[in-house]
Amino acid sequence: MSVATPTSPAPRAWLALLRRHETILLLVLVAEWLFFYWAGTSTNRRGVVVGFGTLDRQFDILRHTCEIGLLALALTPVILTAGIDLSVGSLLGLCAIVFGGLWRDVGLSIPLAMALTLTCGAAAGGLNAVLITALRLPPLIVTLGTFSLFRGLAEAITRGAVTYTDFPTGFLALGQERALGLPTQAWVFAFAAVAVWLLVHRTTLGRSFRAIGFSPEGARYAGLPVNRRLAFVYILAGFIAAVAAVIYTARLGQAKADAGLGYELFAITAVVLGGTSIFGGAGSVHGTLLGVAAIAVLKNGLASLPIVIRLNAAEELSGVLTGALLLVALTASVIPRIVSRLRPRPAPPVSVP
Amino acid sequence: MNRYLRELSVAGALGLLLLAMAIFAPGFYQPQPLLSLATREAPTLVVACGMALVILCRQIDISVGSQFSVCGVAAGLMAAAKVPLFLVVPAAIGIGALLGAINGVLIAGLQLPSIVVTLAMMVTLRQGLNLQQQGVFVNLPDGVQWFGLSQLQGQWLVVAIAVLLTVLLGLALRRLTAGRWVYAIGSDAEAARLAGIRPQLGTFLVFVVMGALTGFAAALNLVQAPQVQPLSGSGLELKVIAAVVVGGVAISGGRGNLWGVFVGLLLLAAIAPALIHLRIEAYWEKAIQGTIILLAVVTDSIRGRAPKHPARSH
Amino acid sequence: MKTPFLRFTAVLAALFAVLSPALAADKLMIGLLPKSKGNGYFIACKVGSDKAAKELGVDLLFDGPTDSNAAKQNEIVENWITLGVDVIAVAAENKEGISTALRKAQRQGIKIVTFDADAMPDARSFFVNQATPEGIGYKLMDEAARLLNEEGEFAVITATVTAGNQREWMKHIEERLKKYPKMKMVAVRPSDDLKDKAQSEATALMSANPNLKLIMSICSPAVPGAAEAVKQAGKAGKVKVIGLGLPSENRRYVHDGVTDSVILWKTEDLGYLTIYAAAALAKGELKPGAKTLKAGTLGTFQITGDNIVLGTPFVFNKANIDQFNF
Repeated sequence: MSVATPTSPAPRAWLALLRRHETILLLVLVAEWLFFYWAGTSTNRRGVVVGFGTLDRQFDILRHTCEIGLLALALTPVILTAGIDLSVGSLLGLCAIVFGGLWRDVGLSIPLAMALTLTCGAAAGGLNAVLITALRLPPLIVTLGTFSLFRGLAEAITRGAVTYTDFPTGFLALGQERALGLPTQAWVFAFAAVAVWLLVHRTTLGRSFRAIGFSPEGARYAGLPVNRRLAFVYILAGFIAAVAAVIYTARLGQAKADAGLGYELFAITAVVLGGTSIFGGAGSVHGTLLGVAAIAVLKNGLASLPIVIRLNAAEELSGVLTGALLLVALTASVIPRIVSRLRPRPAPPVSVP
Repeated sequence: MNRYLRELSVAGALGLLLLAMAIFAPGFYQPQPLLSLATREAPTLVVACGMALVILCRQIDISVGSQFSVCGVAAGLMAAAKVPLFLVVPAAIGIGALLGAINGVLIAGLQLPSIVVTLAMMVTLRQGLNLQQQGVFVNLPDGVQWFGLSQLQGQWLVVAIAVLLTVLLGLALRRLTAGRWVYAIGSDAEAARLAGIRPQLGTFLVFVVMGALTGFAAALNLVQAPQVQPLSGSGLELKVIAAVVVGGVAISGGRGNLWGVFVGLLLLAAIAPALIHLRIEAYWEKAIQGTIILLAVVTDSIRGRAPKHPARSH
Repeated sequence: MKTPFLRFTAVLAALFAVLSPALAADKLMIGLLPKSKGNGYFIACKVGSDKAAKELGVDLLFDGPTDSNAAKQNEIVENWITLGVDVIAVAAENKEGISTALRKAQRQGIKIVTFDADAMPDARSFFVNQATPEGIGYKLMDEAARLLNEEGEFAVITATVTAGNQREWMKHIEERLKKYPKMKMVAVRPSDDLKDKAQSEATALMSANPNLKLIMSICSPAVPGAAEAVKQAGKAGKVKVIGLGLPSENRRYVHDGVTDSVILWKTEDLGYLTIYAAAALAKGELKPGAKTLKAGTLGTFQITGDNIVLGTPFVFNKANIDQFNF
């Protein structure tokens, strides 16, 4: 992209847009969706149209994706600052337990328990923030520690044995019913997505994340309060993880210490697939959303192919393919750099097919 | 002496734990259980040495747990097909080296971030293995366990191999040019390049060594029981990264040594049995491990060994 | 450029062609959904259900989460609705969690049977009840008491501290323990479903508790793990090993005299019976209110209410373990 192409400005703008990571990802997503629509929709043996192409199925995908999507949203600002947060999945588990405990054991009302759970999530994010900013510790190691700590606390609080269930139906509607035509939690996710998008792309605060990720020293010399900005990012991540915990509890109707186990990996995959550089400084929230969608469609689309269901291995296959997809996306992202290194002279214009 | 302050403080913590055990639970010190536990940790030590090299290079590899399982199952299937052990062990090392080389090409060759590459490898290998093996144990023929020796000889042999390997690698890291390359690349790759070192080649080789050591560790695990579980090795990556970090290797690369890693692993490995002897309930274990990791990095920062670029994960 | 793509499409089309007759056939299609498909307990189930499926000529699907996970069970039920199976037989990880998905399947005309662990009663037609958690807990505790002459210390190794069925069994083991005042449970340790970790835990348990007489493993990978630890400690016979497990994973230790008994609710029969019940339900031979069910070579079973009850538990030991090859 840095290669100057000696063509007229209009096609160049087109080319630049076409070569953008998000555009390519969108095309892949559309192709993926169309393929599964074609191959994954069928009239089953009882004459009912089922599979990927049904509206029900699309809503299910949306429903199953909200929690990982929220965690991916939480991680996008973190990774933009060149940080990482491995603890979000464990924090989801801890917050689910705190929420269940506050409601059933302490006897608080659902809204109050929710508010306190969100505070708890922010506070846990604050612990990460303090260790990372005040003590200047590397985020990878801090959040590796809190990854064990949060999950361990969730297990210690419940002594591993308590599962909170029997939540009121009004609360379960948040995870299992529809509102205004869409699954209820999709509205929460949409709201969070818009809020994080505005924060990252339309405020000076959001621009500072990229500046910090690009060069923390530079950001400091430019007068940015780097530590405060970083603290904000990790606290926000904790807060969003708590939102995901509440939704998770509502969807499954249970809060247990193993909630969200392994979710951080899918969330990081989605962010990176969405074009956010793991080295910080570059990336976008809409890219993350596309990354989340690409993974969700792949996972659920595969699972609706009759051949894959017959193999009894939908989960494993989608795992293998998600990993492979991530590697391909990463490799594709460095090809322009390698091409430009191989050809020191300006590359000839590429004709648009 | 000051140079080894960090390693000595970990050793001090281990000493305190051992002292506490001597006072409150002297039953901890019995030769047979300790030897059995040490044998169980020997493969972990081998993987931790590889991880130390990777982290010294300012990289990370979270796919080692999955690599360990793949090598273990592959070696197990070979042993079950009556392939002699002197061929199975090199084969396990070879498969590991190959997996490491894939990581190496992507990370050193294409300059992709190691955490993401190895994350993808971790998921792909693990799920691929699930697909192939469906969780079924591999039963091994007689004569594989303890290399066909007696149990006592076998246990000492496994422990001795792991410790010897650690010592040799530790010395190589200090004394050989190749070892100093690792530190140079991890401290400042650009400066290393100017000094005539090839950082990309060095990083590639470190990942190959990491894979080979993981394969060897899987072989050391294979000979300890008459069967292999495909799930073995899951979660191994977190255990060894924790040992390396607690052992004082800076996650920002270029600082630390294998003696620290050795002591760090001993400390972490001693916690679970110590909890059993002190009769502390199991659900505190993860919380305690997390706290120890955080304490180790906090002391690092207080000592002023914090990375040059805080808040960056690499 | 085009040829490889065409070839790929051709291969795909061929695959469809091969598999679609199987999909369209008049054969009954039954989906069997365990709590966790890598677990020995459910692998044994599959052996029995495969046998029944062959006898009855039904098309059998067997899929489940690789770890016990309520969320993933729901997704598999959705997949099977897509495929249009005739019956879904499920061992529910979470009662409430799975029931929403099962009711949706029922609305599509799919029959539901539960086995091993029940869902909400309105979300299924029958429950094949082999081993209540109470039955498993009591049997394990009784077997331990029998081996120790109702006296001495023992320890328990579980999968994880959060796994649902493990906690359920623990509850009943503790309840039954009250019957044996001279027995003492000294520790409960998790193994993360890892054989190797179970071995380390068992080693430390023996050294921390010199009077330990027995180790009870209530997840299948931990039984050979504990046995290996006892063997290495040279305490075969002095520290007894029992647990819930598979014959194939424990045969060697049972023959060596390390493991005393492996208890399994003959899950092979459980799978067999479940498939017979599912097929009878789909063909309309099994209706609400039925009193008995005939299940192939296993004979006739009693039905109480909507529970089809599988007989007595099974203990594998030196004498009979070689008769089973799963």
